Amino acid sequence: MIFENIYEIIAFILNSAGILQYMQSYSDALGISIAPKLIIILIETALLLVGVALMVMALTWMERKVLAHAQARLGPMITWYHGLLQPVIDGVKLLSKEDLMPKRADRWIYFIAPMIAFVPALLVFIPIPFGRDGAIISDLPMGILYVMAVSAISPIGILIGGWASDNKYSLLGALRAVAQDISYEIPMVLTVIGIVLITGSLSLQDIVLFQDKIWFVFLQPLGFIIFLVAAVAEMARIPFDLHESESEFVAGFFTEYSGMKFAFFFLAEYAHLFSIAAIMTTLYFGGWHGPMIPMIPPIITSIGWFTLKVLVIIFFTMWLRATVPRVRVDQILDIGWKVMIPLALFNVFITGLLVAGGVL
Amino acid sequence: MDSVDKDKVTVIDATKIDTSKYKREVKREDDAASQLKSTGLLNTLVYAKDRAEKRDQNVILALVDQVVNWGRLCSIWPVTSGLACCAIEMMSMSMGHYDIARFGSEVFRATPRQSDLLFVAGTVSKRMAPRLKRLYEQMPEPKWVIAVGSCAISGGPFVDSYAVLTGVDKIIPVDIYVPGCPPRPEAWLYSMIQLRKLIKEEGVGITWGLDK
Amino acid sequence: MARTEEYQLNVGPVHPSTHGVLRFVLTMDGETIKDTEMVLGQLHRGIEKIAESRSYLQFIPYTDRLDYISGMTNNYGFTKAVEDLAGITVPKKAEYLRVFVMELNRIVNHLVCIGSLLLDLGAATMIIYGFRERHKVLDLFESLCGARMTFNYIRPGGVRGDIPEGFIDNAKEFLRDMPKRIGDYAQLINDNEIVHMRMKGVGMLSPEDAINYGVTGPMLRGSGVSYDIRKDDPYSVYEELDFKACTRPECDTYARYIVRMDEMYESLYIAEQALKRRWHPTLQG
Ligand code: SF4
Repeated sequence: MIFENIYEIIAFILNSAGILQYMQSYSDALGISIAPKLIIILIETALLLVGVALMVMALTWMERKVLAHAQARLGPMITWYHGLLQPVIDGVKLLSKEDLMPKRADRWIYFIAPMIAFVPALLVFIPIPFGRDGAIISDLPMGILYVMAVSAISPIGILIGGWASDNKYSLLGALRAVAQDISYEIPMVLTVIGIVLITGSLSLQDIVLFQDKIWFVFLQPLGFIIFLVAAVAEMARIPFDLHESESEFVAGFFTEYSGMKFAFFFLAEYAHLFSIAAIMTTLYFGGWHGPMIPMIPPIITSIGWFTLKVLVIIFFTMWLRATVPRVRVDQILDIGWKVMIPLALFNVFITGLLVAGGVL
Repeated sequence: MDSVDKDKVTVIDATKIDTSKYKREVKREDDAASQLKSTGLLNTLVYAKDRAEKRDQNVILALVDQVVNWGRLCSIWPVTSGLACCAIEMMSMSMGHYDIARFGSEVFRATPRQSDLLFVAGTVSKRMAPRLKRLYEQMPEPKWVIAVGSCAISGGPFVDSYAVLTGVDKIIPVDIYVPGCPPRPEAWLYSMIQLRKLIKEEGVGITWGLDK
Repeated sequence: MARTEEYQLNVGPVHPSTHGVLRFVLTMDGETIKDTEMVLGQLHRGIEKIAESRSYLQFIPYTDRLDYISGMTNNYGFTKAVEDLAGITVPKKAEYLRVFVMELNRIVNHLVCIGSLLLDLGAATMIIYGFRERHKVLDLFESLCGARMTFNYIRPGGVRGDIPEGFIDNAKEFLRDMPKRIGDYAQLINDNEIVHMRMKGVGMLSPEDAINYGVTGPMLRGSGVSYDIRKDDPYSVYEELDFKACTRPECDTYARYIVRMDEMYESLYIAEQALKRRWHPTLQG
């Protein structure tokens, strides 16, 4: 069986279990024949949410462990095996913390900002192919454009969160974060143009399929380096972590947030990390391509390869965090506008020439 | 006292004592199930029943109480605030040698809004006292305070100074006192363990809201 | 043309980058700091007033708590004053031991300083490595006087007591290992491009300013003034020891950092000499 996306997979499973027909007839009788589709979509959403949440938890655990071991420490140890349950525990604790709101905060905006920051980080995953044979939520024909557009929404959440907190630290932190996000979005999109020129398609699935023989890292080395730097900046990791910049602005834009709202910002940060690493894997490291292991269904192996590549990239950023200091705000913007953008344009130019010349 | 025979008293040279035989055996849980048990997750369920009986509570509520307590005691995030000399030992405690991270507490949050624990580490001068109180008030509930060092407990060596507050418990409630000037990092860790016990036994739980 | 306004930002007294209780009121224009007003006194403990009612010996523990990272050096400063007043001559062997502990304490101080500097730049790793070495020195000190930070070790007329058993071996081991460790740290920091970006040309302090402000120590030598009180106006037994004053001409944060790194090597060298001379056969007894 060849599936197009996860929707069809779920439908197939339900169908072969005989549930779908039952649901169909029941809802037909009630006159709401769209209900089964909605239910499948709900299941899909739940899968995505659970998957991302699990991944984010794993990432927070991994971050603490990697940092600790880089620093000759042990990291969380007492909560189960090497502190594996630590993220759950943090979640439980944050859930039960008091939810403070500053007296002069802009109530609704303050309330809604964490969601605006968190939801786009989830939406990004829709057109990303996790594995072959339809492990994709929806293969949008404009996939890469959609991804870039959606991930540009989170800075709005950050900005209004910093604004609504009525705190100078928050406001300054938010302004810095947004300035950084915007100025690195541009080189990121420009490097993607190089890839799109070569593949001739905006769909992420096509881009992955194109990398059957050779990954884009080797075809677009300059583009990859620019994308990597921009990605680290977008992920807000040290050396480009203006979002938090702890020794300057206490905790950046979420200085005033506590409890679950803070947890949402925290989750958004890691979901963002995951999503950008996933995009990078898709664009430059051949997505789910990798040697298939016999006996195991290819869909599972390919998802495994994808996850592995993502984790390697994320490990790299954590390693970076343990090693290098932060770049100052004016220097970050300098690098973004004066180095990255011209280089990215140059990359587009070279790629265009090569494609027009028929080399690529 | 007179009955002690002077000749029979042997002087022990402390440096000569063979300490190797006093080594404590570290009990390690090998399989995952017993490790899970040692985290308190399974015990939580058992305790919940006790708790329900003791407090005349609904079992479900007691269970929620327990799980929440378990979450709280394993993830205590201190606020980054050092006042004087003792703060340096606080840093030592979070570094490789003593590693507070094992208890899940290495996340020193710089903002009081996201932290659970205030270490009053050092001399509280009268000028600093209002700010410390404010810092405490900015922390969201549930919050705990550990007063570390003789200064924070009683003024310590500066007890007769005109500029020093004699005891931080005059301005904010303190849960645990750790004596010493400065206390050794082991003592700090001990205080953390005591705090965990406190949370577990007393349990602030989700008494607010759900209980009523 | 947009109209911009300067605004004020309050930093501290509880802020991750003030390291203790210091408060600044910054006047900012966008991201640029225009003016800084310092608000001091959050750690005013009235030590001078306390000193009036203490005897000389009773006051030594208080000196540990002034600069609490280098207690030994503070001990020495106070003790030296008392000795000069009372006309006490200290035996050579005690002086060598004092120099030994003071130089180790200098290493600790510089490690914490460099660690905090890197922490403020956003690299959390260096401070943890620094504290790892610090623990080794503190273990040595602890075997000397029983305390980890507040030593009360150097007293008028000498030190509190001679070294315990096994101290020399441990000290030698530390002196042997440490240069390699400093090399590791230099590798981690010195060639890092971002470190250069953040530290070079920042915090310029011209030699004239430095002298006029009365700056001393590595800060002064980082501004290109080769003045080391251990060399130019030697106290204790520094005259007899061989070392050089580390100086850098760049006047910026990076120069001061390099001076500190170099001084750690020098301190190790001095400590080694002091250790050798203290237990030289002619000094025994
Ligand atoms: S208790 Fe001792 S070490 Fe701690 S702050 Fe007070 S004087 Fe300093």
